[in-house]
Amino acid sequence: MKMNTISSELSMHDLNNKFFEIMQNENNAEEAANFIYDSVCDDVTLGFIFEFHHGLKTGLTDLIEGEKEEEEPYKIVSTPECDVFGFSIMKKTPDSNCSCPNCERPVSATRFAPHLEKCMGMGRNSSRIASRRIASNSREPTSYAGLLSDDEDDVDWSGGSVQNERRKRRIKNNNNRKSNKLHKNNNGTQNSDANDGGATYETMTANEKKNLLLQICGVVSEHTKKLCTRSTRCPQHTEEQRRALRNSVLEPSTPESQTMGLTAEEAGSPPDSSPSSSCSSSSRKRDRHRAPPKTKNKRERNISPNIRD
Amino acid sequence: MTVNNTIAHQRLVLSGDRERFRELLRRRLIECGWRDQVRMLCREAVKENENSNVTFDMLVTKVTPRARALVPDTVKKELLQKIKTYLLTQKDQ
Repeated sequence: MKMNTISSELSMHDLNNKFFEIMQNENNAEEAANFIYDSVCDDVTLGFIFEFHHGLKTGLTDLIEGEKEEEEPYKIVSTPECDVFGFSIMKKTPDSNCSCPNCERPVSATRFAPHLEKCMGMGRNSSRIASRRIASNSREPTSYAGLLSDDEDDVDWSGGSVQNERRKRRIKNNNNRKSNKLHKNNNGTQNSDANDGGATYETMTANEKKNLLLQICGVVSEHTKKLCTRSTRCPQHTEEQRRALRNSVLEPSTPESQTMGLTAEEAGSPPDSSPSSSCSSSSRKRDRHRAPPKTKNKRERNISPNIRD
Repeated sequence: MTVNNTIAHQRLVLSGDRERFRELLRRRLIECGWRDQVRMLCREAVKENENSNVTFDMLVTKVTPRARALVPDTVKKELLQKIKTYLLTQKDQ
């Protein structure tokens, strides 16, 4: 051993010398490079094979790669009528449609519940309508109004019986309490009829008209020919319309109409409008009066220095 | 001739530069996917003799020649060039 190490130490110097000697020739260098490359490449290959063999023997390879999946069920289907999973793109078959038990029409399953609601009257609104229908049918089966229309007004005008009256009141309590509140002070059937929005001024007495117009807007709509039952300041109608209507309705009766119109006017128009406008106009006038002398003075001043210069 | 080569090789080993080249080659071969190809070769070899016990020597004899051929030309050229320039620049010192 000692001899070996010594000799290697010695040869280290020799090796360097020899190495430089060899490298003088470029061909030698090229050959040596090839040789070294081969040995290095072998090394690396061996290293990889070692790695693989180790993995194989310890079962590491199987763990890393995992079990192979079966490819058959996951293949992408490329036929024109199917999607990638092989399911049909075509619309659902008609047996997924239900037929409505009421009207026998085919309805898609997703729309079935809403359809039933409309068709059979199961929803909130339709149940209201339906109960009304049933009520009117049971009480006066011959009445066309109950059978045909949902319109309250038609029902009201169809008959004048006490039963009708009560029913109408009940419905009104449900639907528009607001208007009921407005007309609390009105007693008697006639008045409540008049307030109903379907009434006209022709059927009322002067006093009723006055009372009514004190509380509601009362403008007659062009389309429905009904009274506007909102408050006297309702935004839908203009102050002009209200005034015109009050004039036309209350004119023939008494001087009361004049006061009515006036009060409505005062109530409706903004209180500060007329004074402020007058004020502003007067102030403008004042300005006009003041303005000319100023300019005159200025001109004079402007002119005077020029003259001096 | 072989003596010259071994002398050059020995010197490279002693200077520790052989290790450097080996690491460079290893990295290049992994980058270009050569390692995966070799792994596939190994798997094929294992499959071929599934019955008999797979030994390391068998793998080496079966895979090494094909693996050598699979080394991309660019990688081989690069390595050769680098080694050669390294050898030639050594003599100047």
